[in-house]
Order: sequence, then C-alpha cells, then structure tokens
Amino acid sequence: MHIPDGFLSARVALSYAALSSLGVGAACYRLRAQRDRGASALLGVSAAFVFAAQMVNFPVAAGTSGHLVGSALAAALLGLPGALVVMTAVIIVQCLVFADGGVFALGANLFNMGLVGCVVGFCCYRLACGAAPSPTRRVASVAFAGWCATIAGALSCAGQLALSGAAPLKVLLPAMLGVHALIGVGEAVIGALVVASVLRFRPELLEKYEPAERFARPQAGALSAGLGLSVAVAALLAPLAYAAPDGFSRVTQTLGLRASASPPLLAPLSEYGVPGFISGAFATVLAGCLGTLLLFGLCWLLARALVPRPSGSLGTSEASEASEASEQARVAVESSG
Amino acid sequence: MSCIHRAPAGLKLGASLVLIVGLAALPAERAGWGLCALPLLLLITVLARLELKTQLSRLAFALPFLLGVASLAAFQPHGLRTSLGLLLKSAISLFTLQLLGSTTSISELLRVLRLIKLPEPLCDAIALLARYSSLLSDEARRMRRARAGRTLRASRWRLWRALGSSLGLLFVRTVSRAERVQIAMRSRGGG
Repeated sequence: MHIPDGFLSARVALSYAALSSLGVGAACYRLRAQRDRGASALLGVSAAFVFAAQMVNFPVAAGTSGHLVGSALAAALLGLPGALVVMTAVIIVQCLVFADGGVFALGANLFNMGLVGCVVGFCCYRLACGAAPSPTRRVASVAFAGWCATIAGALSCAGQLALSGAAPLKVLLPAMLGVHALIGVGEAVIGALVVASVLRFRPELLEKYEPAERFARPQAGALSAGLGLSVAVAALLAPLAYAAPDGFSRVTQTLGLRASASPPLLAPLSEYGVPGFISGAFATVLAGCLGTLLLFGLCWLLARALVPRPSGSLGTSEASEASEASEQARVAVESSG
Repeated sequence: MSCIHRAPAGLKLGASLVLIVGLAALPAERAGWGLCALPLLLLITVLARLELKTQLSRLAFALPFLLGVASLAAFQPHGLRTSLGLLLKSAISLFTLQLLGSTTSISELLRVLRLIKLPEPLCDAIALLARYSSLLSDEARRMRRARAGRTLRASRWRLWRALGSSLGLLFVRTVSRAERVQIAMRSRGGG
C-alpha cells in the first residue's frame, strides 16, 4: 500500500501531509503528557520489532508471499498514541532509507497506514474486545481489527489516488478493495497468531498497555462516535462502489486477476444485495454489515483454534504438559532474550 | 566514500525533495520533461560509484504497484498517455529516493530530522529503530533458520503457525530487551 511519488497531485499530497502531521503531533503530545519514562525505550524497540516483522515472509501460494503491516497489531499491543508513533517511525525510515513509498507522498502514506490503520485498528479492537476479555475474544478481536484496518487503509488510498486524478474512483475502489480484502485476511491471521503466542508466553503484556477500568466509559463514547463516523463514510462510499460492477469486471479482465480475487465472503452478498430486501445503496450497506459480522464469526473460530482451552475442558495430562511447555518457553525467553 | 556520500545530508534531502515535488507538479501529459533529470541522476550514480545494475534491480521491486496503478489510469480519456506519464514520473522519483537512501546513512538523516524539529518521541523512536532493527532482523532470521532445521516438512498452515508464534516470541524478547535498555538508560542518568 506504499504509494510511490508521482501518482499524487501536489494539492492532495500537501493536504494529507498536513492532516497526518496533525495526527502524529497529537500522538506525540499525548505521549509527552503522560510521560511514562519507560515508554520511550519500549516504543523505539517496538518500532524495530515492527520493522523486523515486516521482513518475515509468509508463503501464500505459487511462490508469492505476504507480510505483516502491523498497524492494528501495534495498536492492540501498545495503545493508540504509541502505535501511531511506532508506525510513523517505521514508515519514515522505509521511505528515506529504503525508498519504499515516496517522500512527497509520505503524508498520504502516513495517513493510510499510520493514522487510519492505527485508529481503525484500535477502535475495532476495543469495540470487539470490551472490558476484561477472555483470551479467545482478545485473539479474535485482533484478527478482526487487522482486517478492518487493512480495508480502511485501502479505501483511503483509493480515495487519494482518485482525488489526484490518477485513475477514476469507479475503477480504483473495487480493484483496491478486492485485493486488500485478501491481504486483510493474511493480516488478520498473522496478527492472531502473534497475539496468541504473546498470550502464551507473557499474557500480562497485553493487559499492561490497556486503559484502566475507569477510562472505559468516556472511551465508549468516543468509540460510538467513531463507529457512527465510519458507518457514515461507508454509507457515502457504498453507492459509488455499487455503481461500478462493470468497471470491476473490466479491471479484473485487463489485470488478469481471476474472479476469485474478489473478497470471497462479501462477493455473493455484494453481488446481489440481500435477497428479499430493498436493492441499491441500503442493500449494499446491509450486505457490508452482514459480511462484517460473518467475518467476525470466522475470526472467532480462528481464535478458538489458536487459543488452548482452559484446563477444565482439556485432558489433565495434556494441560499440565502445555503449561510445562509454556513454562519452559518462558525460561528460554528470559535466559536468551 | 565518494564526494556524494560526504555531501551534507540536509542538502541531499532538500535537493531530492525539490526534484520530486517538481515532478509531482508536472502534469501527466508533459511528463516527458522529467527525462531532463535523468542525466543528472546518472551522473550522481557514477560519482557515488554505485552500480547501476543494483539500482535498476531495486527499481524492479517496486514495479508491481506502479504497473497496477498505471494500468488503472488507462481507464479514462487520454488514458494511455496519462498512465505512461505517471509511470515515468514515479520511476524517476523512485530512482532519486534510492540514490538518497544509498548515499546517506540513517544517523545523518536523523540529525536533519532533529534539526527540522520533528517531535522528540518520534526522533527517539527512529533512533532506537535504527539501532535495533538489524539486531532484531538477525534474531528473526536466526529463529527462522532454527525452525527450518527442526521442521523438515510442514503444511502451509503449520508453517504459518510456526512463523506467527516466532513473531510473538520476538515481540516478547523485544519487550524484555526494552526493559533492559530502559534500566541501562536510567542508571546512566538519562531516560
């Protein structure tokens, strides 16, 4: 999703640079205000972690491979301001040192992968998690947040390219969403795997950076505002997306993508609307909601597969073996880490 | 160390930015003018004693996204010209950035970023990222090699699980390293 230089017009690049520097500035201000001295080293080393994690390639199919982006994962592990600073550091270094993503397009890239990714990832994670979640729910929420953050980033990326006149939105939106629905599945699975293993080795890390109980209520207000906003955006964008099935089929033909490159879950729903209901934009939004719910169910199943059951439902010998293994792993971590 | 490597990082960053912004301001139909920058860039490549072949192969890595967006751009009036123009503009910008990245060290860039008053938490994060990224990538590589040595054959799902849990372990190690770094910083009177 790194936009290179040359695709964005000067106006779009500058306005998104202003937006994302506002966001990053606010995050830095928050961090400086809460001034937890332990945080600065943690953030820097976590930035190095995200950087290294992006280099680990996961084999997909036929020689292609994918990797983590990590904004939702970072938001779940480090909290919103911390994750934003970490992702900003990673994106700046990738741009200036490795020429990955443009320098004039840096503001837009920061907006898509940093601001949108972290905010959407954080909101979805908190919303799905609730207060004092079970491990299964936590893993499922991280997977869900990863998917949502990828999709939201792709949406705003398509919007920026269209605003710059690089390509019509009707063509860009389905192509970007189709590809990133698949990429998002990878992001969700990797995020869930990482959090499941952090839960196994040091579960207290996930609780450490969570807001205290007393913050739960004001944050819920902010969350519902965020949710309302995202629904509004979806409602604004849905008719546009819906108006372009012919563009989409043209794109898939010319790009040589197979028809299966469209989101496998949403495809039957978005193709027809919800049968028996009103067609048009409303049906698209409804289909989107249903697809999202379905996706959350799948995330839950994934989490059930990844998180070991509490010892009650498990054979006792197996459970003690598992806890012994995790104890050994912890010793290994502490001695070698 | 060539004269390009020794040139001040702020100058290099500023010059690249000027060139790239200029290219972005160029309308896609007149993108041919961007070729004027090519002799300068090639001269810099030669002066910096960089291998043109390596630079071109790095350029090829970014090609999928460029081609994807450029082919989408073909769906509009004067589409072919626009998409070729976009391709040219972005390829030249990318080449410029690559030259900047391969002739400037991250610590020099960081000094410039501090000079232009980037917020302090961000600069700290970049500094620590520069310091620890190679360390952690090495650690990830070591863990992957150990995993590959233990697992001769694995289904894709098992491989994903193994890779994912090693990333989780890497995060846990990262945090314990951060805790030690913090103790070290504090005991030296900083942090």
